Amino acid sequence: MNNAVTGPEPQIAPRERKPLISMRGVSKYFHAVHAVSNVDFEVYPGEVVAIVGDNGSGKSTLVKLLAGVFTPDSGTIEFEGEPVSISSPSVAQDLGIATVFQDLALSDNLSIVANLFLGREYNTRGFLADHQMEDEAVALFRKLKARMPSIRTRVSALSGGQKQSVAIARTMLGNPKVILLDEPTSALSITQSAEVLNLIESLRERGLGVVVISHNLAEVQAIADRIAVLRLGRNIGTFHAPDISYERLVALITGATDA
Amino acid sequence: MNAKSPTPGSQSSLRESNRARIIDAIKQFGGLTQVELAGATGLSAATVSNIVKELTAVGVLNTTQSIRSGRRAQHVTLARTPGLVGAVQFGLRHMRVAIADTSGTLLSDHRLPLGADHRADAGLDRAALLIADMLETVDAGTAELLGVALALPAPVDMTTGVISSPGIMRGWDHVPVTRVMGERINKPVAVANASNMGALGELKHGAAMGARHVLYIQAGQRIGAGLILNSQLFWGASGSAGEFGHMTVNPDGAICRCGNRGCLETEAGASVLLESLRGSHGVLTLGDMLRFADEGDLGCARVISDAGRKIGMAAANLCNVLNPERVVLGGDLAQAGDILLNPVREAIERFSLPSVAEDLTVTQGMLGTEAELLGVVQFALERFVEDGSILMGSGSASALSPFPTPDSTDLEDQ
Repeated sequence: MNNAVTGPEPQIAPRERKPLISMRGVSKYFHAVHAVSNVDFEVYPGEVVAIVGDNGSGKSTLVKLLAGVFTPDSGTIEFEGEPVSISSPSVAQDLGIATVFQDLALSDNLSIVANLFLGREYNTRGFLADHQMEDEAVALFRKLKARMPSIRTRVSALSGGQKQSVAIARTMLGNPKVILLDEPTSALSITQSAEVLNLIESLRERGLGVVVISHNLAEVQAIADRIAVLRLGRNIGTFHAPDISYERLVALITGATDA
Repeated sequence: MNAKSPTPGSQSSLRESNRARIIDAIKQFGGLTQVELAGATGLSAATVSNIVKELTAVGVLNTTQSIRSGRRAQHVTLARTPGLVGAVQFGLRHMRVAIADTSGTLLSDHRLPLGADHRADAGLDRAALLIADMLETVDAGTAELLGVALALPAPVDMTTGVISSPGIMRGWDHVPVTRVMGERINKPVAVANASNMGALGELKHGAAMGARHVLYIQAGQRIGAGLILNSQLFWGASGSAGEFGHMTVNPDGAICRCGNRGCLETEAGASVLLESLRGSHGVLTLGDMLRFADEGDLGCARVISDAGRKIGMAAANLCNVLNPERVVLGGDLAQAGDILLNPVREAIERFSLPSVAEDLTVTQGMLGTEAELLGVVQFALERFVEDGSILMGSGSASALSPFPTPDSTDLEDQ
């Protein structure tokens, strides 16, 4: 069997926790604009880190630096302790960093299975191995505890939450170690957000490092283990989620107080 | 479930299991079209169509015409008794919302993670939105909703829904939950304590079934208890009975959220256990701790068994007073199984009167984390369904079995 879904169950012993990703003093400039300046940021296995901040605070730029869309102007990025240069999205993917952007990039006219395996279809002697792909898709959704009506449904018929789940599931096929989610619950109804949030929790349970950008502080506090607050391109503090109140978080984001 | 179960591997057992698959799938999604059912169960469209037809005839399923992607489709839902109740269970870090019909069958349920120290206004808003959304998925109007019951993990005044001990849930202090939720959904609302609901759940469907006197202990982030005396849940004067976690066990202990010192919760609550592991194991969640303990991590197992000893000592005192026949442990921490239960057993044996400990059994809850939600459903039914006979009276066969007794007319058709 292909090991995409049935890969080894990630196990993290509590004491040997090393960061999966560690950014040190990373900066990115667009001419005179300091989009991200001198940021330190870490992601550990089995945790959800939320990045919060106002518009233009550098959240998306930070994620794009990790996804290989941008390369940093200064600073170092380490992946599992090794210095790396994430020069392109495919380099990021090879390292095990998967990204779900806001637009999801799904093909509406194709079925769920076709979307999952788009560009990496299994085949036997030139014919598509439909059954194998379908079995694997069903197993994947079951593992993620995602509710999906039928894997043969066209994506255009799915709700926003289900589309988000398909996009997240697709990244899981590459057996990533880190998943970056850009605003996963924006424009979703309450039941759909509930499903996506539960999905994020099950990614965490499977030992992945999850980075979530979100504007919804109630959701951030619900799922994040740590919260990194960005303001004007600077990381002004990373907090354990239970230790920081909603009011303080708002104050930090808006600049009413300093960390 | 038929009286005689078919031989395994036979045609009829296959049919039986296909039926179960279809019913499970519908329960999971609330309602599906036949095409979606085929995809979700992996059965062929013809099989699905046959089974749906058959189950509709005997009154298990209900089909309505609808349109999906511009095509006509059969929307299949569970057939339900008229009238629905909503059940909302708030935990410290999540909430569960369910819709059940008057026979107690869960039609749809959802879970939503919540932040630490979540707020009443946001929580109740979301609960109301979820209920509205879920009513839609089971093809029901708001008119069918008879009422909503809520459970909070804190002592509550049952008439107003105000948390009677400020500080225990900071975001909910002084909020008259009954009125606030009533305004949002425009239906009768009842509020109760979550541990009592856990006890009710285990009494009706789980490990406390059939017993007359039971002490139900819920151990997790919070520690609470539900008392079942003479097969009835004991509420106390204002609904605060069973605040087991706030029994003083260490007069010099840490200050508790409730304002006292050295409550059981400050010694054996899950957050205290996790805090004590922070130095050696780093930041863990409750799930991590349980998993590591299960995998043989000594530190995690030790912390849990120490908590078990403390809970057992406090329970021993309570057993001396009540002389229950069963002690049922529920809540997240009880998932540790014997790692928690054995020290509880030992402590009760050692610290309670021999006559009390003699016939006492200490067991793990059967419903796990479902106990509270099922208890809330039960509570809602008792509160909002006027005709109690629907619950336990003559029609009970349909309440218990997934296949209701078919109407005689339907039988003749076949």
